[in-house]
Amino acid sequence: MRALGLSLIAAGVIAGAAELAAGPSLPPHDAAAARPPSHPLRVMSLNQCADQIVLALLPPERITSVTWLNRDPLTSRMVAEAERVGVNHGQAEEVLAQRPDLVVTGVYTTGALKVMLRRLGIPVYEAQTPESFPAIRAVTRALAEVLDAKDAAEPLIAAMDARLAAAARNPTHLRVAAWDGGGYAPGVGTLYHEILVAAGAVNVAAEDGVSQFAEFDAEAVIETAPDVLVQGVDRADAPGLRRQAERHPLARSYYADRTVTVPQWAYVCGTPYSAEAVTVLAEAFAEMKGKGLDTPPFAWR
Amino acid sequence: MSGLVASGLELTRGKKRILAGVSAAFAPGSFTAVIGPNGAGKSTLMGVLAGLLKPDAGDVTLDGTKLAQLSPRGLAKRRAYLPQNPRAEWPISVERLVALGLTPQLPFFGDVAPDEKAKVSAALVACDLTALKDQQATTLSGGELARAMLARAIVGDPEYLLVDEPTAGLDPRHALDAMSRLKARGEAGRTVVAAVHDLGLALGHATRVIALRGGKVLADVVAAAVDAALLKALYDVDARIVRDEAGVSVRYL
Amino acid sequence: MSGRLLNIGLFVVLVAMALASLLAGRVWLPPADVIAALSAPDDTLAGLIVSELRLPRLILAVAVGASLGLSGAVLQGLLRNPLAEAGLLGVSTGAALGAVIAIYYGLTAHFALATPLLGLVGGFIAAALAFALSRSGGTLALILAGAAVSSVAGAGLALALNLAPNPYAAFEITTWLLGSLSDRTWDHVWLGLPFMAVGCGMLFLIGPSLDALALGEAQAESLGVNLKRVRLTALAGTAMAVGAATAVTGAVGFIGLVAPHLVRPFVGYRPGRVLVPSALLGAVLLLAADVTSRLISYNTEIKLGVITSIIGAPFFLFLVLSMRRRAP
Repeated sequence: MRALGLSLIAAGVIAGAAELAAGPSLPPHDAAAARPPSHPLRVMSLNQCADQIVLALLPPERITSVTWLNRDPLTSRMVAEAERVGVNHGQAEEVLAQRPDLVVTGVYTTGALKVMLRRLGIPVYEAQTPESFPAIRAVTRALAEVLDAKDAAEPLIAAMDARLAAAARNPTHLRVAAWDGGGYAPGVGTLYHEILVAAGAVNVAAEDGVSQFAEFDAEAVIETAPDVLVQGVDRADAPGLRRQAERHPLARSYYADRTVTVPQWAYVCGTPYSAEAVTVLAEAFAEMKGKGLDTPPFAWR
Repeated sequence: MSGLVASGLELTRGKKRILAGVSAAFAPGSFTAVIGPNGAGKSTLMGVLAGLLKPDAGDVTLDGTKLAQLSPRGLAKRRAYLPQNPRAEWPISVERLVALGLTPQLPFFGDVAPDEKAKVSAALVACDLTALKDQQATTLSGGELARAMLARAIVGDPEYLLVDEPTAGLDPRHALDAMSRLKARGEAGRTVVAAVHDLGLALGHATRVIALRGGKVLADVVAAAVDAALLKALYDVDARIVRDEAGVSVRYL
Repeated sequence: MSGRLLNIGLFVVLVAMALASLLAGRVWLPPADVIAALSAPDDTLAGLIVSELRLPRLILAVAVGASLGLSGAVLQGLLRNPLAEAGLLGVSTGAALGAVIAIYYGLTAHFALATPLLGLVGGFIAAALAFALSRSGGTLALILAGAAVSSVAGAGLALALNLAPNPYAAFEITTWLLGSLSDRTWDHVWLGLPFMAVGCGMLFLIGPSLDALALGEAQAESLGVNLKRVRLTALAGTAMAVGAATAVTGAVGFIGLVAPHLVRPFVGYRPGRVLVPSALLGAVLLLAADVTSRLISYNTEIKLGVITSIIGAPFFLFLVLSMRRRAP
């Protein structure tokens, strides 16, 4: 029972998509599924990550509701926008009550809910979870197509590309690890890794081909000897083991002035705004390099 | 007053008055059998005499000192108590089990000293256990275990020996054996008190009999004075007591 | 084999395991480097890894293993039941609940000692409940008491998980509950070790009384054993040692069940004599499990508690079956 709970939670967390409810998704097979309207006016989004793109693409009057998670500034870039539209908690009853003409789900939305929506004849669009910048481009354009908001999508993508291009001009090649504590670090195949690379750094956790969120303990920090540690911004009042990791003597004594922070919303959900974190990080890395902190803090290396 | 003296013992559990004013004195060199029907309060009396149960009223004194005023360890050095159907909870050796009787004599952390080993050997010999001394106590037969427990009780040569149902579950030979050993302790000048169900054995070995019924002492007499009338009053049975050179037998009519 | 020889043997194995645990891990260190690092800690790779990471981890592994083994031996002796153990009695779960509350509801941030203290309180309540419920004696009563207490504490844990402020916290709680010594620091040592030391000291004090308890409670009491005090000391000692151990490592099961069992035949089944070798073997077993968790880990760490459960649970099953055969 414990293992099942863990895998469910891990699926939700590690895939970087804080979903409403985790569970297996059913393959889209039903030919009788309702066709989405060509210009949806009552859009309801049930996935925290899709929410943010929907909020970026559509004016508030065309959005019926997004998930409550988007009012949390820690994991959402779109708090102000989210506060202008309704809220849902991913419940079937809410879908019935709010009578949307299009429901946007994520790949982790429960299969039972999707089956029910299909049976009710409510049009459903399943948004993919992007784990790279090309994927963000594709997912944003695909969603814009369905939402009939292509004009809104291109400026977003152009802004993202401009940020990426700027960051790519002067890469620092700092060796960094995104060590949030909890014994894990993002490796190849995660959006977080892509953000670090786009910001001009070398992700040491991915050096030996480690993929997804892999085991990365304090010993790994010493072994790989990154120049700088990257930490997700946490609420100052949010207790947990990650706060203990910040107090880890290693972080305290060697990385006290070598730690840069990145907002959680940037890597939890892949949106065009994830590039904003790239800019922030690239600037922070350049500052570190300017201070001569481009060598490991350990004498042995 | 010397010896073990109980005066005015009262003990109530729930609504049941288990001991209702029991007074008795036990002198050195005596072997007292406590008899009585089931639920008469025999086991409770044994527990109170041993200092393990606290009476609601009345007290037990040992050579004039109240039991409650003695330290548990000091009391343990002077009296031994065997509950009904004692059993070994771990497969320790018989020798080790007997040595546990010396617990009150031992320093807190420490092992059995050489002169104490001699005491253990003597107790093993006295209870005919030498051949079994390395056997695991949990594998002993009922008779063997009863012997081992008795050896455990007498290894420290306590002045007072209180035994609850020493013959319960034993075959006639082992029951006789157990009673003889208790009798021998009494003859050696110690004070022995045993709650006994088997009237023949009790009357044949004990020097004195206390008859308990409903938490009251019905009779406190020398063993030879127990007669059919007392048994009738005690158990509501008609019995004939036959005393001859082979011992005492009780025939129920 | 005599008890003394067993203790010496176990101590030697413990020292060997301790040295191995300093060498083994993600980075394999040559023995010469470790010796250099121990004699003069410096900023070398070996120096950092040994002094900052592996030494505190080693000390905690030994302390936690000894606490679990010792408390298992004491509980088995006290309840006269070979199935008694902090984990099976629910003490570990109770302690875990206390620690989870401290870690995830912000108490630790204000007061560092909150985790071990709440672990201790949780362990104490669970142990007191289990003792009270299993007083009537018997294997069945004990297992039922343990199951009852575990489910109460488990319900509390489930509620804590349910109320977790975000999915990350829930994920962290679940992984933490699996038990691990990874990334433990000197902070954890200073936080947990004093409690474990005092708890173990209390548990060792009970040893002589446990021998007399081999005759049952009535006879033990008649031999001058103060049962009330023994029970209270065992309760407090277990809560302290296991509570602090759980607060530091999360729940690690079965060490307390297995260790006393393996050493018991070598000390002639004397419950008092089981304590020292149980503590030593508990430390050896936990250290072995920790080294194993470092060696077999690939990409995802196999947690300490998972390893001890995988090995310990079949042992538990075997014990239950063999006890059923011996006594109905």
